[in-house]
Amino acid sequence: MRVRRPDLPSLVGGLVIAGLGTVLLLDQSDAIDLRFGTFAPIALAAMGAILVAVGLSRRA
Amino acid sequence: MGEAMATTSASALRRDPTRRILGGVCAGIAERVDVDPLVIRVAFIAAAMAGGLGFVVYAVAWILMPAGAGEAAPRGGGPGSVEVALGVALLALSLLLAFRSLGIWFSDAIVWPLVLVAAGGALLWRQSTRQERAPRKERAATVSRTGLGVALVIAAGLVFLQATSSLTAARDVVLAVLVVVIVLGVIFAPWILRLVRSLSAERAERIRSQERAEMAAHLHDSVLQTLALVQRADDPKQVSALARRQERELRAWLSGRTDKAEGRLASALEDAAAEVEEAHRVEVDVVAVGDRELDERSDALVAAAREAMVNAAKFGGGSAVSVYAETQDGKTHVFVRDRGPGFDPAGVPEDRRGIRESIVGRMERHDGRASVTSSSDGTEVELMLG
Repeated sequence: MRVRRPDLPSLVGGLVIAGLGTVLLLDQSDAIDLRFGTFAPIALAAMGAILVAVGLSRRA
Repeated sequence: MGEAMATTSASALRRDPTRRILGGVCAGIAERVDVDPLVIRVAFIAAAMAGGLGFVVYAVAWILMPAGAGEAAPRGGGPGSVEVALGVALLALSLLLAFRSLGIWFSDAIVWPLVLVAAGGALLWRQSTRQERAPRKERAATVSRTGLGVALVIAAGLVFLQATSSLTAARDVVLAVLVVVIVLGVIFAPWILRLVRSLSAERAERIRSQERAEMAAHLHDSVLQTLALVQRADDPKQVSALARRQERELRAWLSGRTDKAEGRLASALEDAAAEVEEAHRVEVDVVAVGDRELDERSDALVAAAREAMVNAAKFGGGSAVSVYAETQDGKTHVFVRDRGPGFDPAGVPEDRRGIRESIVGRMERHDGRASVTSSSDGTEVELMLG
């Protein structure tokens, strides 16, 4: 059976959103203390990962 | 030859796309220092953990190091390269911010200016190392990239001065320097203007002189050679064929239509040899090792080699002419040899343009070199183009 390759930007985007959701959920349940200084690097890393995935998929 | 190639590959620091995980920087450095790439990767990760500097160094090295053999996409110009560059920059920034909030940090006054200087310097360096002139529509992007690089470096300086509380003192110094520059500018403006105009006029004259020399060399190689052949030809059909061919060539040259800049060097040399063989009824053998694309410079090399073949055919006493061309590591050598009676290169009259303008002058105008060695055993013309 032929296996379809996943779309890299969609995969990375989904994982990033799931990760962000988890972080926000942990903050909501007071498991972590989320402040701007902590959230800013996470948000930047999320955007960076999506951009790299989009760029790599356009190269392929 | 193999040793020469090994020396060349060992001296150049290049990314290795065949063993890359990200950009092939670690693999390229490992290749250069002859160690396992894993060692270099571990070193980069350790440097990245110690304040995030490893990421910055890696990103800068990725931009600055040229790709080795095996990379399909051209450096920096491929689709998606902007997204990847932005993404890597954001990831690096997020890591720096994370290290900062975790307390693994040197100082704001050092790291942020360093990051800005690295980014701006990398942009400027990359623009300056692009050799070929960009097409008109890409020039705006080139200027904006250079402007962004300059802005980043200036911002780095301002951030550093602000962080070290030296901004006010620096502002006073800049103001003083600005005043002095304006005063000197007003005083010396007429001289500066005259100097700029004189340099422009000199440049224009140099360009005109080179164009005149190119035109003279072309006319010598084409029209004058054909007229000389016409004088020696007995058959009216042959004279007519020579005149028609010359007319076609001259019309194409005057209208700017030329197919010489297309194709490869080896086939262009073979075409030139066939023309000389047909016109002068002398055997011309061509051996080519390696090849390169034809461009303006290699086109001049072919024209100089053709002129050397014509000279060998005319003055080589009917002996076969051998042409040997070798292209390696971007350099091309062409040797044109005959077994004729030879001549004294220093004794060639001033008004003869064949060797002086069509061969030596033409090669020098295109940053190449030509030398003529002659003895009673024959004559060899060596042409070199880097």
